Amino acid sequence: MDTTLNKLQGDFQRYLLTLDGPMAKEVVSDALDAQTRLGIYADAYRLRLLEALQTDFVALRAVLGDDEFDAMGRAYIDAYPSQHYSIRHFGRNLSRFLAETDPYRATPVLAEIARFEWAMTDAFDAQDATVATVADMAAVAPGAWPSLRFGLHPSLQRIELQWNAPPIWKAVDENTDIPEPQQAEYPIGWMLWRNEFKIYFRSLSVDQAWMLDQLLTGATFSEVCEGLTEWIDAQHVAAHAAGLLKQWLEDGLIATIDY
Amino acid sequence: MAAASSLTHPPLGFGLGLRTDHYESILAGPRRVDWFEIISENYMVPGGKPLHFLDRVRAEYPLVMHGVSLSIGSTDPLNRDYLRDLKILAERVQPAWISDHLCWGGVAGKNLHDLLPLPYNRETLEHVAERVQQVQDFLGRRLLLENVSSYLTYKRSEMSEWEFLREVSERADCLILLDVNNIYVSSVNHGFNPIDYLEGIPAARVQQFHLAGHRNLETHIIDTHDEPIVDPVWNLYREAVRRFGPVSTMIERDDNIPPYEELLTELDHARAIAREVLSPDAKAREGRNGCSIAAPSKAGARRGASVAAARLPSE
Ligand SMILES: [Fe+2]
Repeated sequence: MDTTLNKLQGDFQRYLLTLDGPMAKEVVSDALDAQTRLGIYADAYRLRLLEALQTDFVALRAVLGDDEFDAMGRAYIDAYPSQHYSIRHFGRNLSRFLAETDPYRATPVLAEIARFEWAMTDAFDAQDATVATVADMAAVAPGAWPSLRFGLHPSLQRIELQWNAPPIWKAVDENTDIPEPQQAEYPIGWMLWRNEFKIYFRSLSVDQAWMLDQLLTGATFSEVCEGLTEWIDAQHVAAHAAGLLKQWLEDGLIATIDY
Repeated sequence: MAAASSLTHPPLGFGLGLRTDHYESILAGPRRVDWFEIISENYMVPGGKPLHFLDRVRAEYPLVMHGVSLSIGSTDPLNRDYLRDLKILAERVQPAWISDHLCWGGVAGKNLHDLLPLPYNRETLEHVAERVQQVQDFLGRRLLLENVSSYLTYKRSEMSEWEFLREVSERADCLILLDVNNIYVSSVNHGFNPIDYLEGIPAARVQQFHLAGHRNLETHIIDTHDEPIVDPVWNLYREAVRRFGPVSTMIERDDNIPPYEELLTELDHARAIAREVLSPDAKAREGRNGCSIAAPSKAGARRGASVAAARLPSE
């Protein structure tokens, strides 16, 4: 659509995004000049988005400090303008931005803190589901076990982190000394989920991470047990898998047991 | 009871914006407000705490839905995903009505998350009226459009904001959410008489009032919703009630959110003003004396800045 209104909105938007372009000549100057009036909008645009980032990335802000976070946030605002109707989604690309942009990519823990905090945001308002219980599991007839599948709670977020983002987040949350960034030898699996209205997170051993990912793809109990023999002795594997399931049921992570 | 000819829904009384900080107080205490307004986008999420409390509050109170993302004046196509999600939320909430702003919020697929003013001319008028009709057809109900606070005037504007709002509402057959604070803020920022604004608005279409606080920066006023309502806005509210009658009224507080009790007290002030204006005695007095409030000129606003000269968080 190419109309004067379309052109005007394009110019206004260009000014807000780049502080550049011909917009000022479209605006009346009186007690305040056009540039000042446009500046009110340009300031408000960035402040509103910065506030959204401050809300969603509390730990990242604590690690960077207010001024550095502000500068980083402004660079992100310029690199990833919002495309979603809701400001709720604005921080979605922050982790990616930090991983690919100088100078932040030289400190990889930053992108991982952002990824961890965003996973919390997604767990917070993910779809609701009733959860299965340990009693439901106990009621399963022994003959039905091999073909069982498990539906996981929709709030479950599975991420891999090579740095100590979760302990850093925890220190910020508890207002204790923030640990130095630390890199693990290999990426560690984490799961985050919501139970009632609280967000939980836990690291996963290699076999746990593998099993959880299998359940997510709809694998049966017997398929899971077979694969777990990579790490677990065959004669203990069923008990091991059932033990993990019991723990995840108690965690409120399993929504359905499907026959 | 609405007359058959009335465009508007029956008034709901005095309400507040539903805010996360107040969920527990609202559900714990006795009923102290008549209704709540929600920001639609805050509840356009799959689940969790927001929707849980939404349902609980809805079980006890009438709700209205107030959106910030419709971008009715944008030259981008209407956002179908947004409209779909809005309709899904409306089915859940069964709101008394749905409102959004007379503004635009971005073009070329971008969202600036602001309520940007429109140039008030024929081209915009046709564009907006046509889109309001599309939205109303999709939602199956009349939409309320709210006047926004603004900080600039376009050279391409050919009419006042109130003329534009009146024309849009009549052409599109929509309703009006009159934000009394926004009228005041814009009257200072642009130097018009807020009474002229009220007089230009078609009374039959006014469904709701907003009240809010702002920050007076002396050279201009920023609409921040983070302070109590100031006296000039209360005075303008008095004039609005005098003209438009017992219109559903609510206070918007979006930042620096005080305890629930404090907002209830502020809301009581609105009730008292409306009661006083609408009492038979007041009508008699008005008949003798008429009424007027000073038009806040730029200079007046500078002198009369009763709000502490506030800064935005950072410049
Ligand atoms: Fe408003």
